[in-house]
Amino acid sequence: MSTHHHIEQARAGCALHGALATFGAIEGVTPVIHATAGCGIQYERGVTPFGGALPPCAAWGPPVSSTNISEKHVVFGGGSRLREQLKNTVKVVAADLYAVVSSCATEMVGDDLQAMTKEGREQGFPVICANTPGFHGSLHVGYETAAKALIEQLPAAGTNGAPRRLVNLLGIVPQQDPFWQGHLSQLAQLIRPLGWEANVLFGTGQTVKSWQEVPAAALNVVLSPWGEKTARLLQEKHQTPWVSFAGLPVGPKAIERFLKTLAERLGAEHNPSAFRAQERALDAWLARLAPGYFQNGWQREFAVVGEFSLVYGLTELLAETLGLIPKLVVVTDPLSEEQQQQWLPQLESLVKPWSAKVVVREDAGEIADLIEQSGVELVLGSSLEREVSDRLGVPLLVVSFPVADRLILNRGYVGFDGALALIEDLGSALLQSP
Amino acid sequence: MSTPAGRAPINREKRLNTLSAYLGETSALLREYARGEDEVNVDQRIRTFSHGKPDDLLVALEVLSAIPDAITVIHGPRGCAVSQLQRALLARGRAFGRWTVTDLDQKATIMGADAKLRAAVAAFYHRYGPKVVFIVATPAVAINNDDIQSVVDELSGELGTIIIPIYASGFTSKTSVYGYDLVAHSLVKTLVKNPPAERGAWVNLLSLAESSGDRDEARRLLQALGLETLTLPDGAGVQDFAKAAGARFSVPLDFDAGHYLGRAFQDVAQVPLLDVPRPIGLVGTREWLLTVGAAAGKQSEARDFHAREAAALAEILEAQPLRGAKVYLSLAPATALGVLNLVKETGGHVAGLTVSHVDQLHLDGLRKFQDQSPALQIHVGEGQGFEEANLLQRLKPDLYVGDGGQLVQAARLGIPSVFLPRIPVVGYRGVRAFARRTALALKNRAFVARFAGGPQLFADNWFQRSAHWHIKQEVK
Repeated sequence: MSTHHHIEQARAGCALHGALATFGAIEGVTPVIHATAGCGIQYERGVTPFGGALPPCAAWGPPVSSTNISEKHVVFGGGSRLREQLKNTVKVVAADLYAVVSSCATEMVGDDLQAMTKEGREQGFPVICANTPGFHGSLHVGYETAAKALIEQLPAAGTNGAPRRLVNLLGIVPQQDPFWQGHLSQLAQLIRPLGWEANVLFGTGQTVKSWQEVPAAALNVVLSPWGEKTARLLQEKHQTPWVSFAGLPVGPKAIERFLKTLAERLGAEHNPSAFRAQERALDAWLARLAPGYFQNGWQREFAVVGEFSLVYGLTELLAETLGLIPKLVVVTDPLSEEQQQQWLPQLESLVKPWSAKVVVREDAGEIADLIEQSGVELVLGSSLEREVSDRLGVPLLVVSFPVADRLILNRGYVGFDGALALIEDLGSALLQSP
Repeated sequence: MSTPAGRAPINREKRLNTLSAYLGETSALLREYARGEDEVNVDQRIRTFSHGKPDDLLVALEVLSAIPDAITVIHGPRGCAVSQLQRALLARGRAFGRWTVTDLDQKATIMGADAKLRAAVAAFYHRYGPKVVFIVATPAVAINNDDIQSVVDELSGELGTIIIPIYASGFTSKTSVYGYDLVAHSLVKTLVKNPPAERGAWVNLLSLAESSGDRDEARRLLQALGLETLTLPDGAGVQDFAKAAGARFSVPLDFDAGHYLGRAFQDVAQVPLLDVPRPIGLVGTREWLLTVGAAAGKQSEARDFHAREAAALAEILEAQPLRGAKVYLSLAPATALGVLNLVKETGGHVAGLTVSHVDQLHLDGLRKFQDQSPALQIHVGEGQGFEEANLLQRLKPDLYVGDGGQLVQAARLGIPSVFLPRIPVVGYRGVRAFARRTALALKNRAFVARFAGGPQLFADNWFQRSAHWHIKQEVK
């Protein structure tokens, strides 16, 4: 992507939007946006409608606190406007934590976020801040920045009682993974039988306290390239070890690998017989699928388009359990060259037996061309791939951001229940296609 | 005003005394506007606490979305483009203008990114071969002053195509409606060079980012008068803008959105701009139709058509579907002033009114509102749910009709709510749809009832304050 000078239909917001998605997904946290009026509305119109379950804060409508700076502030600085907004946000909006986030305009003007935040703290407000101008990068970068702010600036929770058997889940980016809420619940469910509890950090029941417990965890579990920075920070700060997985645990092989690895790292008991029982139950479902599988022609060459960890997980289940043939894998998160070197080889080796093409692209036009050239008979991607799949007369299952034509609240594709959900969704897409 | 000059129009505050923050007596507001007709005479207000709200960039992008055969290059960091995902996704197979973003990073933002823009425009143009290319500026680009004009000048010749820059900034005006002016300014400046010598038979229907249902209804009304209609900019081709300069007259579907464009055609090519309300409710639709009829010499056709259509709605309106219901409106002003008719015609009472802005274009409408509801205050603010929640808590309306995301905050107070942008509102079809949707909202309150008494976003203290607490006079 070194030659890129533009991205057609860019399918990820900016760093500011990532911070809004991240802070907003923690109950009781209110972002305070220091920006021109529309920055938060871009998020409200372009991210929240297409990213599955709304984060708790976004479920209240327009960005609840935004300085809406005008020309005067661009010329003379907007620091005093932020001071005023922060002071009044605390009075108007009920929250446990206020997270000040900045934008291109306020960073270019040079407003001092840290000083304003410090002032707020001195007045006793629970407030942290993150510098998140859009020019810092994609929504994913905002996720990393927001997580760093939470870890570095939240006052530590008092440790009372026995240490909890806790692992943190890192790398599921709220909304950019439209199944974020479902995936977090499913991951927690997978881990529970090991005798450990997952600190999922976002969504239902997750509060500032969940983040204050982050240092107490015994292990950080990195579920996408976007969780690694946070894991490294926690290792440095709290000496917490971490383990990373190339893909989400979708399908029996990945689930077993996930559980075995965690059990080993945590010194826990992986119960192979319980796993086998679940695997047999899945096989029984597959047997009941079989007639439809053949009648509806499930064995197809497919393209999958989406974020790294999801396309990895989906490809693994489709190829290694369901007998479909991967032909084209498009990773749409803007991975840096370093990240690509680190993460792509695992994906490439997964699809090597089928000589599938693996590319990192986010330009909708280029992706459409790749799909067209691939000659696939099935596409798993975002709603942006609807146009090309319709043109080719090929069924599309929408699994990645942006999702415009299906409703996702608590659904996910992780674990055995997730595998079954994916099979149902895929089968439905095949049945609905001409 | 003659041919639009300069990169961008002057902002709405200076042009029309537009206010985006006010809460108080309508009469007091009217007195302020009466202090002088043409100069800046109202006191600008600001908020010391605010929610996010749309800006000129978002509105400009919406308008451009409806122009086919065009591509849009959004010059800025990627976040400035993300709302455009709606454009592709909600188009659901219909033609939509392609868009791309130059995805500026920190270095490009600091050092300037003219070269990047040039490469993006050329590559995107070559891929899709459109009739026109829009380049849209963003806050970051407005601040570091990238030289968009030289890219336009160079590439127009090199590619042999029309390239139109739209200088959005996100901060030049406090109101998002300025985005309509920005696009209209650039369109007329670039595409209407030589007004035709002769007048044609058609009339211009000024339609900016309207829903297709409302646009179709307006066209049906004009067709009923036997008028040939040129709709623009929604759905218009490049050649239509030059053609529009030869029209008999222009009629806006929404005078807030269409005012700058209509005035530009009037000033550049002497195409009269009709002064009409938005055709909403029987009263508003009748006035719109009769004004158009008078300008076209089709008065009797207009009267007859209205009589027929109104008769067909008599049964619905006699049933008074909103009988006795207290209705809160939170809408863009031209729409709100029209929906006031609808509420009355369906038997409801307006309990409160929020408009996204007010300016000199609304004085007649506000006088009518003042006459009809002298006891009611007017609230001016786009997206300011905290003020609305405060007002709603006091006014306890039976129904909320809104066009913004803050509708959720009304619903979560347990108030039945209708999201107006998704239903037809214009003309006779609008009467039918409004009567039906609002009646359904009142018929079954089960969904919103689940929120009543639940957790609230705002601090208890806020509900003790007066709703105008955070609106202050601006100190220059």
